[in-house]
Formats: sequence, C-alpha cells, structure tokens
Amino acid sequence: MSAAKKFIYGIFNDDEMVLNAIPQLRAQGLNVKDVVSPFPIHGIDEVLGLKRTRISICCFIYGMTGSCLAMLMIWYMNIFDWPMDIGGKPSFAFYKNLPAYVPIIFESTVLCAAHGMVITFYLRSKLLPGVEPVILDPRQADDHFVMTVQVKEGQSSEAIKGMFMQAGAVETKG
Amino acid sequence: MEKQYWKGVEELQNDAEFVRLKNNEFFEHLPVDEVMSNKASSTDNTSRRDFLKFMGFSVAAASLAACQAPVKKAIPYVIKPEELTLGVPNYYASTYFDGSDYCSVLVKTREGRPIKIEGNELSSFSKGGTSARVQASVLGLYDSARLKGPLANKKVSTWASVDGEIKKKLAEVSASGKKIVILSSSVSSPSTKKVMTDFTAKYPTTKQVVYDAVSSYGLLKGNELSFGKFSIPGYRFDKADVIVSFGADFLVNWLSPIEISRQYAATRKLRGGKKNMSRHIQFETMLSLTGSNADNRYKIRASEQSAAVAALYNKIASLSGGVAVNAPSIPADKTIDSVAQELWNAKGKALVVSGSNDPNEQVLVNAINSMLGSYGNTINADQPYLIRASNDEAVASLITELNNGEVGAVIIYNANPGYSMPALQAAINKAGVKISFADREDETSAVCDYICPDSHYLESWSDAEPIKGVFSLGQPTIENLFDTRQAQSSLLTWAEAANTDFHTYIEEYWKANMFSQQSGMSSFEAFWNKSLQDGIFEINVNAGAVVAFTGNIQDAAAKTQQPKPGVELVLYTKTGLGDGNQANNPWLQELPDPVSKVCWDNYFAVLPAYAKKMGYVQGTVIEVKAGDFKIKGPVLLQPGMTDETLAIALGYGRTKVGKAGNNVGVNVYPFVSVENGAMKYYATGVSVTKTPDDLYELATTQTHHTMMGREIVKETTLAEWLVKPNSGNAQLTIASPYGKKKPGELDLWATEKNPGHPKTNHFWNMSIDLNACIGCGACVVACTAENNVPVVGKDEIGRSREMHWIRIDRYYSSDTTKENAEAKKLGKLSMYAEMEKPAADNPEVVFQPVMCQHCNHAPCETVCPVVATTHSMEGLNMMAYNRCVGTRYCANNCPYKVRRFNWFRYNENEQFPYNQYDNLGKMVLNPDVVVRSRGVMEKCTMCIQRIQYGKLDAKKAGRRPIDGEIKTACAQSCPTNAIIFGDSLDKESEIVKANADPRSYSLLEELDTQPSVYYHTKVRNKVSEKKEA
Amino acid sequence: MQKESNLRPPLILGDKTWHSITEDVCRPIEGKANKWWWLAFSFSLAAFIWWLIVVSYTVGTGLGVWGLNKTVGWAWDITNFVWWVGIGHAGTLISAILLLFRQKWRLSINRSAEAMTIFAVICAASFIVAHMGRPWVAYWPLPLANQFGSLWVNFNSPLVWDVFAISTYFSVSLVFWYTGLIPDFAVVRDRAKTKARKFWYTILSFGWTGTAKNWQRFEEVSLVLAGISTPLVLSVHSVVSMDFATSVVPGWHTTIFPPYFVAGAIFSGFAMVQTLLIITRKVLGLEEYITVYHIDMMNRVILITGSIVGVAYITEFFIAWYSGVEYEQYAFINRATGPYWWAYWSMMTCNVITPQLFWSKRLRESIFATFIISIFVNVGMWFERFVIIVTSLHRDYIPSSWTMYHPTWVEIGIFIGSLGLFFTCFLLFTRFFPVIAMSELKTIIKSSGEKSKKAQVLKSKEVHS
Repeated sequence: MSAAKKFIYGIFNDDEMVLNAIPQLRAQGLNVKDVVSPFPIHGIDEVLGLKRTRISICCFIYGMTGSCLAMLMIWYMNIFDWPMDIGGKPSFAFYKNLPAYVPIIFESTVLCAAHGMVITFYLRSKLLPGVEPVILDPRQADDHFVMTVQVKEGQSSEAIKGMFMQAGAVETKG
Repeated sequence: MEKQYWKGVEELQNDAEFVRLKNNEFFEHLPVDEVMSNKASSTDNTSRRDFLKFMGFSVAAASLAACQAPVKKAIPYVIKPEELTLGVPNYYASTYFDGSDYCSVLVKTREGRPIKIEGNELSSFSKGGTSARVQASVLGLYDSARLKGPLANKKVSTWASVDGEIKKKLAEVSASGKKIVILSSSVSSPSTKKVMTDFTAKYPTTKQVVYDAVSSYGLLKGNELSFGKFSIPGYRFDKADVIVSFGADFLVNWLSPIEISRQYAATRKLRGGKKNMSRHIQFETMLSLTGSNADNRYKIRASEQSAAVAALYNKIASLSGGVAVNAPSIPADKTIDSVAQELWNAKGKALVVSGSNDPNEQVLVNAINSMLGSYGNTINADQPYLIRASNDEAVASLITELNNGEVGAVIIYNANPGYSMPALQAAINKAGVKISFADREDETSAVCDYICPDSHYLESWSDAEPIKGVFSLGQPTIENLFDTRQAQSSLLTWAEAANTDFHTYIEEYWKANMFSQQSGMSSFEAFWNKSLQDGIFEINVNAGAVVAFTGNIQDAAAKTQQPKPGVELVLYTKTGLGDGNQANNPWLQELPDPVSKVCWDNYFAVLPAYAKKMGYVQGTVIEVKAGDFKIKGPVLLQPGMTDETLAIALGYGRTKVGKAGNNVGVNVYPFVSVENGAMKYYATGVSVTKTPDDLYELATTQTHHTMMGREIVKETTLAEWLVKPNSGNAQLTIASPYGKKKPGELDLWATEKNPGHPKTNHFWNMSIDLNACIGCGACVVACTAENNVPVVGKDEIGRSREMHWIRIDRYYSSDTTKENAEAKKLGKLSMYAEMEKPAADNPEVVFQPVMCQHCNHAPCETVCPVVATTHSMEGLNMMAYNRCVGTRYCANNCPYKVRRFNWFRYNENEQFPYNQYDNLGKMVLNPDVVVRSRGVMEKCTMCIQRIQYGKLDAKKAGRRPIDGEIKTACAQSCPTNAIIFGDSLDKESEIVKANADPRSYSLLEELDTQPSVYYHTKVRNKVSEKKEA
Repeated sequence: MQKESNLRPPLILGDKTWHSITEDVCRPIEGKANKWWWLAFSFSLAAFIWWLIVVSYTVGTGLGVWGLNKTVGWAWDITNFVWWVGIGHAGTLISAILLLFRQKWRLSINRSAEAMTIFAVICAASFIVAHMGRPWVAYWPLPLANQFGSLWVNFNSPLVWDVFAISTYFSVSLVFWYTGLIPDFAVVRDRAKTKARKFWYTILSFGWTGTAKNWQRFEEVSLVLAGISTPLVLSVHSVVSMDFATSVVPGWHTTIFPPYFVAGAIFSGFAMVQTLLIITRKVLGLEEYITVYHIDMMNRVILITGSIVGVAYITEFFIAWYSGVEYEQYAFINRATGPYWWAYWSMMTCNVITPQLFWSKRLRESIFATFIISIFVNVGMWFERFVIIVTSLHRDYIPSSWTMYHPTWVEIGIFIGSLGLFFTCFLLFTRFFPVIAMSELKTIIKSSGEKSKKAQVLKSKEVHS
C-alpha cells in the first residue's frame, strides 16, 4: 500500500442526501469509508455496513459482576468475617438475611453495569480528556455532513469530486 | 602524677557558682513549688494552660490524701499503700448526717478518690437504702466553692492565728459573763454532744441552741405535752395495716425517709406469697410524693388540717368511748368518718402521722394513736428518733437574748439562718463575736468574723445515733483536700482540751460508752475495728411498752389552728434539694421533682382550675404577699392541689452557695412564721397579684402527663388481684399460622432446630416492682454518679435534652378513658383531646422508672449504619461510643425513647459551668466509665462495668457470680428494693422468680422488641373495691 | 429519518434550521450574561457563602445549635435531605423513562433537568453529612474496616442502603448527563473563537468527532443507560422511603411508602423543572424550544403524580383506621389535629388540591399559573417530609417522652444556604454548558419542526386534492 493514503471528502448539507449518496457512490466503485455528522443519521450503519455494537453485552456482564461482588462483600463482612447479633437478626445465615441485602445488591449491579459500559464506550471510541479531534470541516458538528472516500489506485481525485457533486455534495475537499 | 578526668569545662575550672549548683539534684531551678502552692490551686478561674497542671495536682493530691501522705507534694507512689490496688475500688463504711437526713453508707473509693456512695446493708436502720440527697453528697466533696482554709474577717488566715484570736475573744466573753451560743442544726452524734459539754465546761456561759431550717419542734413538743418526753418515738410503718397521714411526706422528707420508705414498701410488696398489703390514706393540701403513692388521697386546706385531725379524734373517741373535743366542721368530715372506721377496725395495726409543726395538732395525733393502741405496736416509744432536736422556743428566746445584747459570741455549726431565718440572722449580727463552721462563704458565714471551715463528711470522723440503740461510725475516706478542720476539733482546740484529735476522741468515747454495752467482744481493739468496718454498732432495745397518754386534749384542741378563708400558701421541701443545704449540687438541681418533673426551679404550684379562674397559665409570674413578705415567682399548673392554695418549695434562691446553686429559684423561707412558739410552714390570708412580666420558662423533663389510655403502667386493685393474680395484666397474644402466640414466641428466623443467637453463660434481666417504686429518684442520682452522666443545665432541659440514663415517668390518671368515652358521647378526636388532660381535681398518680430496656430484638441495633450498637451474648444492648457517627437513627427508632445524644461537648464547654466539670469536680468521675464526647449517642448499659467486675471477682474465686452479688447502681440505691437485677439463666435467682410472677410484664410487649427489663403491675388497695371484695 | 403524524403539534417553533439551533443554544455560552443573570447569580452566591458559614458553625459547635431533642432526632435536616433527593428525580426520569417511551418532547428539557438532578443530589448529600453528630467520620458508613480491625458496616441498616443508592444514583446520573454533553461540547469547540474556549471545550469534548461508529455506540449507550437508570431512579426513593418504612415509629412504619415516595419525588421533581425552565427559557430566550406544549406535557405528569400522592395520603389514614393499632391511629389523628396540624394542612392544600387545577387546559397552558402552582408543589412537598418526620416522632409510643420541636435560625439558615448552593451551580451551568441537547434535537427538526410540519401539511393537502 502506498505510504500516504489519499482521502477525498464530500461535504453534504442534508442527511437524506448522504444516505442516498453512499450506495450510489459505491456503485460507482468508490471506497466510502465513513461519514462524520452533527447528529446520528438513522439507518446509516446498515448503508455503511457497520457491525452491530456489542456494548450492551458488556453492560450485562458488568452488571452480573456487580451483583456477585455485592453478595460476596456482604457475605464476607456480615456473615463470615465478623458476625454480630444485630437486633436479633440472623447474621449467622446469608440466605435468611437476604431480604435486607437486596437493595445493595441491586444498586451495586447498576453501578458496575453503568460505569463499566460507559468506560468501555469511551475507550473503544477513543474518547478521553485531551484527545485531539480530527476536524475535517468546522461545520461538521453544526449542520454539515462529511463523507470520507479513500482514493484507490488509478482513481483521479477530480473524477471523484465530480461524482460527489452529482450525488448532491455542496462542496468537496482533498 | 595522677590522672584527672573532668566532665565539662565548668568542672575543670570549678568556679564557685558551678560548685554550688552541682550539689542540687536538679541543676536548674524547677518551678514545682509555684505550681503546687495553695494559692495557685485555689484560684477559681484558671487558664486552659493551668488546667492540666491542676488536674495533675488534684488527682495526685486526692490519691495521696487517701494513703495519709502529705497532700501538697505531687509525686507518684514511691511505696504503694498496701490497702490500695490500682483499678480496684476500696469501700469504707461511713455515716451521712447533714442535720436532717441520716444514712449509714459505704463509700466507694478509686485510687483514693471517693466516687460513689452506697447504702450500708448491715445497718438495720437504712438497710442499704439511700436517697437522692445521700447519693449526691459525694459531689459536695469536690465543690470548688468550698473554702480552702480559715478566714478571719474575710481574710485568708492560718489556724494558729485564728485559734489564738478566737480563744482570746471567747475568754473575754465568758469573763464578761455574756453568753456564748453554739447555734447548730440537730446533732445526733453522741461524741459531738460530749465535745460540746467539754466546751461548755471550759466556757461555762455556753449554751447550745438547736435550730433546724425545717423544724420538727411540733413533733417533739407534742410528745412532751402528751407523754412528758421531749422526743420523737420510733414509728414502725412496717407493722401498720392502715396508715393515715395528714400532710406528712414521710417517703422522702418527713423525719427519716430512707428508713420509713423501706418499712412502707415492705407492707406494699406482693411477692413471695404475700397476699396482704397496707392501706395508705393521705390527707394533704399539695400533691406530695407520699400523697401520689397513697391508695386514697383526700384534699384539705392547709388551715383545715388540725380540724381534720380533731374530727378524726372525735370519731375514734366516740368509737373507743373517749371524750370528744370541739372541732370545727370541715368538708372532709364524711370521708374522715369512714377513715376513722377503717382505723378502728385495724386497731393495734393502725398508724396516724401528721406533718404539721403545730405541737397541739401532734398532741391530738398522739391521742388518736394511743386510742388505736398503736403504742407498743406501730409506735415504739422506747426507741425514739435522735436525729431531730429542733427547738423553736430556744430559737425565739435566743433572738430576744441577742437583741438584749446578752450574747457575746455565736458559734454557728451546720446552720444557715442568714438564708433560712432573716429574723435570727438580724439578731446574730448584733453579737460581738460571730464564728462559723460553714464550709463556704454562705449567706451566714459571709457576715461572720471567723470562718473555720468544717471538713466534708467524707474527710471527717463522726458517729451518730439516729434512733436509740443504733450507733454508727463515720471515717474519713480521703485526707482533707483543703486546709479545713473538723468543727469538733476546732471546739476542742478552743476548749484547750488535752486531745484535740477527733479520731482518738471518738475512739475514747466509744471505749467509755459503747464498748460496755456489748458483750460479744472482749478487747476494745476488736470491737472498734469491727464497728469501724461495719460502720454500725447496734444493741437490742425492747419492743416498746404501751405508754399512757397524759396530754391535755381539750387544751390542745383549743390551741390548734382553726380553718381560715382566703388564699393559702404551703411551704414544702423537695426530694432533691430538701432544706437547701446542698443547693450547689448540680446533680440535685437537675433531678426532676418526682411529681412536677421540673428541674432547676421552685414555683407556685396551683390547681389548674384555680389558675384558669385567676387567668394564670404555666409560667405566669405572680407576686405573692403573706405577712409582710412578698416575692415574685412563676406559676406551675399542678393537678391535685387544693383549690385557692399555692405551694412553693423551700431550699431555693440561695445567693452565696456557688456557681450551680446561686439564684436558682426564689427563697421563700421568709414566709415561715412563728405561731405559739412553733414555726409554721404555711400562711393564710395570702394576697396574690398577677404581674405583667412575660411568661417564665420552667424546665421540665416531662411535658405530657397522661397515658392516653395506653397500657404502659398496668394497674389493678388488691381485691381484683386476690381473685385473679394477672388482673390488669391481660396476656396479649398474636394470631399466627401456629395459633395464638405470645409476641415473644413469634420469631421470623429462629426455629426449634436453629434457635438463632445462643444464650450462653449469663443472660441479664431486670425486674421493677411498680408497687414498691415510690418515685423518689435515688436511682436517677445514683446512675448519674456511677455512669458520669453529664449535667446539662436548665436551658438544655428546657429543650428536652436531659441526659439521665434512667428516668422516672410520672402519669396522672385522666377523667376520660377509652371505656367511658362512649358514655360521655365523645368522638375519637375529642376523646383523645380529653385524654390529654389529667384529672384536674385529684388524679391518681403512677411512677415508672424507665431505662434502656435492652431489647433482644432491638430496633435501635438494626438501623445503626456503623454497627455502633449491637447485642451482647449476655442480652445487653451495647453502645460503642467511639464507633458512633451520630445519625440519631437509633434514638428515633427506640420506642422507649431512652437514648441520649451528646448535643454539645458537655464536659468541656464554658456553657455548662457545673461542679462536675471544673478541675476539682472531675475527680468524682468513675474511671470505669468513659466520659462521652460530643456527637455520640449514649444510654443505660445496665452498669456493664459492674457486671464485668462481678464476673471477674467470681472467676478469681472459681465460681459463678452469686445471685444478688452484682447490682446495678439503680438497684443498689433503691431504698425500697423495687429493682431486682440478676442472671435469668441462674434458675434459682430472684429475677427468675420475679419474672414468673403473673404480675410481670414487659413494656410495649406487642412490638415484640423482647426487652430484658420487666415490670410488675401496680396494685392499689382502694376502698371501693375493698367493699365489693 | 423518522416520520410522525402531521396532526401532532410541532415541538420546535419558528423557522429553525440545524444551524439556527446551534446558534440559539451556543448564544448564552458565547455571548455575555444579561443583568438578570448577574442579579440572580449574586443572590445565589451570597446564599451559598452563608451556607458555608452556618454549616461550619454547626460542625464547630455541635448539633446542639439545632432545635432537635431527645424525642425528635431528625427534623429539618432529613426533611431537606428527602426534599432535595425528591427534586433530583425528575432529570433522570425525563431522560430515561421518556426516552424509553420515545417521548420526543423530552429533548428540549432533558439536559437542564439532568443538571438539576445532579445539583439537587449534591444538596441532599450535604444534609446527610451535616446531620451527623461527628461529620468528620462521615466516611464510616462506607464498607471499610475500622482502623482497629475488621469492624464493618451494618448491611441491615437502611442508612447503608441509602449510602449505596444515593452514590450510585449520583454517579450514574452524572455519567449519563456527561455522555450526552460530549457531542454538544464538540459543537462549541468547533465554533470556538477564543483560545481559552477552544482549549477548555477540547478537553471537555473528549476529542469527539461524530463518526458513524461513534454515533452508533453513542445511541446504544444512551438507550441501555436509560434502561438501567429507570429501575435505578425508582429504587433510589424507594430506599430513601425505607429509612422510615423499616422503622417501628408509628407513621413511619408504612408499607406503601416506596411507591408513594417515588410518586412524590417525580411530582416535586417536575414542579422544580417547571419553576426553573419557565425562568430559564425567558432569560436565555429559548421560548421556541421550550414551548407551551412542553409545559403542558409536564403539567400533565404533575397532575397524575399529584393525584397518586393524594391517594397515598388517604390510604395511610384508611390503613391506620383499618389496622386498629392504637399507636398508628393516634399518630394520624395527631397529624391532622395535633399541635402540627398547620403543617399537615399546608401539605394537603399544596400537594393534593392545587395540582387538581391542572384538569383545566387553560391553566395547564398558562405559564403564570404553572409557575405559581409549581411553587406551591415545591412547598407542599417540603411540608410532606416535615409532617412525616416530625409529627410522627414528636408523639410516638411513650407519652412521657412526647415533646415539641422548634427549629433554630441555624437550621433555617442551612436550608436557605442549600438553595444558594443549588442555584449557584445551576446558573453557572446555564452560562457554560449547552442547556439544550442540540445534537439530539437536530434529529427531530425535520419531523417535528414547525417549518417542516407546515411543508408536510401542504404536501398532504396537494395529494388529497
């Protein structure tokens, strides 16, 4: 592969046009990489052929871990390590005292699930304080949509720009 | 030549200065003397920095004092006194007598500091009982208001110079033929009496005058008129089946309360198969503690009392065929007839007493008693009380003598006329030489030429003969804290006796007088040691023969008080403060009045209906004028008062007693008048005016007075109880899948197989007999002393923040009950509204001591987030102060509201300047109990430190604790033994028997908190039910 | 591209484009604050400083400076705690539950509601710490061994449940809120003219660009978070209510507390949102985003929850009577007719009677009426907690311990101060954060914007004719 990948950017100002443009451009043999948009465009993941995210599965696993941790903690602290007669409550048996432990088990489940998932999201999407963003166009977060096309061998950027304009782009870069 | 080694250049040079210093132990000067000098330690307002120095000093001083080492040097034990083991208390038998109350006591000392007073169970007189005043007396030892040495004309002086001057002056006086008067309160110590005779021998013009602020002259004189003896016969309440009292508050104030309340309770208890109880009828003007305990209580006007007695006399006389006297008719006549009948039926087992100080009324009472055959049965004339010798006549004549200038010198011992009798004081001021033995610059001694401070009774040798044939010894439990000297030694010194040391003096006296009266021991040494160890020596006195009544009944009847119209004022003494000699004791000031529940004040108690009529509310400030004295005071609405009558307590309004006691309440002694030679403790024809002042805040620990129809204090009557042993104590059951079960039997978790938390080794329980509890509050003060309970003062009490671990709830009956609400056609709302009101006219009163119930299903434990309060294997609800974060959730969730929160850092806060907290007062703290810090919860621990100590003792002896060996402070202090504490796993124990009693119940049982504290239904011996039965 | 019925009223008024939304929302951040903002801010700041003073005074002197006593161990402190937590329920509820129900009208208000939630929970937490006798050991209820060995916490205690519930709720709401903020921060960043703004918003926006994959994950995360926040938000006030429900105090020991408290929380939460937004939309000129339609919608929620609360009050009385338990019956009679009757009846008026006015559409849509009633509800809900806590405690089982409670200036001061803390935070939020979730809002402009609606209506007309 050539050292410097070349990209052409088509800038749209309407989400529907973007959705229509992608298959059209692909048909014309362009390698449409990605679309940067100011808000989520519904249906774009199918069009772009993105895989379904598995983040909710992580969330479930984190949650289960949370409840297990809570139960372990409570069992260790109140039953195993230092059982005490607290108001005659059965601190000698975890299962007998379980009703009193439900709230904390639940809260801990939610705590781990939520934070685990969000942290995963940040890491996978490389969202962290101080990350320098790639700004293809200053309006990309406002009201414009930037479509990235990687130039293949033997494709002239002029031709690509032409296709963009046909597909409804308001301008092109690259 | 010989080698020489030198350390430091100085030594090499050996200059003079160095050589001098070298020989000192410490090279540089240490400021020990400055720190320890008397002056420094006696300064009252000390800087925070000095505090530590003084603490260090005080503790060391006090400790050393106990082992007879010189006090003023702060050095650690070099040789530990062999009788003292660190951490182990020593008990010394001693004697408490303050001129009115007597008690044989054991003094608990730790590291040489007396920290607690216990009753002496060897004494047949007080049998281990105590009273609030006795319990509190230990704090008096550490009262920083005490004088640190003798004063001559208000200037600090030395004993030598004071003695010199006094001797000179006394010599002059007696030479001039003028009288020397020893003005004292009643003296019961035989050896002290001897000291006075010795003194008289030296100064022949000496005469002793006995002046009691609250006089018993009426009783003494009355008996003189009746039987020719100026003495009070021994009363035997325990032998009485019917007790009729005319305004005698014999359970806490009259004569000898500790002994009498024990006897009284003995007749009221219904345990161990005892089926009969005495009947107690009270005629009185204000609602006294004794009246609140009566089976039937009848209200009379103060001025009607004599007439009532006369009426009773006439009725009895008609029954016994005696002569009648003319008695004015009064409203109570009808009831008196029925009462007379009851007394007559109980002939020989009846007892009539009167609280009046009118000798003639007492004559009538004696006449009644002799007609009822009480003498030889319920009254033992051969064993008179020797704790009262008040002589109002003598006082009266003393005043004249003083005014005529016949008296050259007055020596005041344990009396305070400057506070309690202005007339007397005015006269005293005329005397040439005024000498006082007061321990502080009080209202009287402040104007004396010489104050020769008497030592505190815990620093003194003493003996007493409270009642004929019962002797008791008092020994010092600590060396004098200050440069004080026993009054007796002072007198002996001035009398230039050979032996001025009162210790040896007493010993000699006992050798001469007591030793001979016993035969058990041959050597005096042995006898002395035994008496000293036991604190008592008793000889048998015969049961008391029947004595013939020789009084002039007609004359007496004629001279008695006649009923008068108009508003009347009654003066009484409170359970806490008594005559006011301990007014600087914050424990007593903070002890709620058993009936009104008010602390830190006296007040004009009036009947609510009367208050309404006059437009008073609680706290209205009124001005009361009787004779030529008038004073302002707040109004307290007191159900059970007689109409058109005000009652106010003596003993308040001290001005020169100390930080805690100064200007608390108002001084109403000036209302005391003298009528035919006797002091009169009520006034007639009183004029009352309402002042425009804004409402006065009375601090009370109980703001709601009825039980709201709840089963909190369970009650029944003797008649019903005889038929049905669990009457009034219906066993509550809960319908469950397993059928009807007692709340305690239902458990969510514990099953037959798995009984839940095991009850191993011990399981502590407490049982409180509401029949025996008279509500006197001795337990409250005992608990305060034992557990370092903070004193919080009037303002905090006013905010409902008292810290007492044990409280005595007092409930008035209400006219409206759930039962009669229907009949009264009351809806639920108005029913509750009505039930909030106490029966205004004459409510029945019940008392209930409530401390932590040590629930085995404790609501407080469950909710504590940090496990600061948990349950012990021995059934105690424990509190870990240093784990507490102070969420107060436990207190909210406590159905009994026994948990107390440290809102401030009470022990070190300028806001609370009470004895207990200053440098000296801190020495009263019990080292076994933590002083709680700010922001933590505290509560009754069932004296866990005592339990631990008892268990360790038993362990050392290789046995289980014996039942009754371990006692909580409250149980131990109780004069009536209403509280039983013990191990419920010990099947033989008292507590197990008590809990098996059908009267036994636990508070709010339906909540299934399963308390470890049980109560016994109160049984009243009411007349109406008697008839039915 | 979503579609929706033309009959539905537009959610955004005016001729709005994606760009104009950006402009409108960024204006407060980029422009200067007007005098109203400064006025409000200086007041709040003063109150906040006062809060610092009174709290330090309490901690320094001891809880004795409050009016509590041996019988009433909780009063204003816990009243305020519960009140604030209650208010803190609207935010998460709006963004979570309304998201699950696909209620698009939430989009204009969820951001500020969530912010409110977070600040309210901070205030609530401050009362938990302040009410402790020894605040310096406030961390002891956390599951840590004590310094001397393994003495742990008591998992039976509702207070420990609280610790977990509140901290979970706070942190999860915070994360939920922040994740939503990231794309909007990116907008501000990309428009930033000044260096400083660029710098700060670059940090805040975590380097967000808005690639298709990120948006996909973003939406998934929002949805799942909404899913788990819904039971969470319901659990929090249930747990708070268990502080009372699991006790033995008559008037506290009530099984309907969890649902009743949750309803009350939503009730007071929405009321507070109304109070705040009616002012915010005016001050920040967002009338076209937060429209009468939104206000009407929220008023409906207030009406429903208010009625639930009313039913709960009545049920309590019925159960007290039906149970036949002496203490329970007296507790409720005492509430209504005892010394604190005035508190009870102010609660009834504010919480049960006033919301019923919202049956009238005119009042629902009247901004003034809404504002007044929302204030009533806030007051009423404060009294509800006061009534439950104080009137139950001051007369419980043993009449000898019955007593009264009177607040001191310190307690009142701390409450006022906490309002200062709250508004200080909220006002700063309006200056520095996008108060409307613009990137989400942009997704609906085509379907629910006024302009596009009109266009659609015209189109449909043509079709029919």
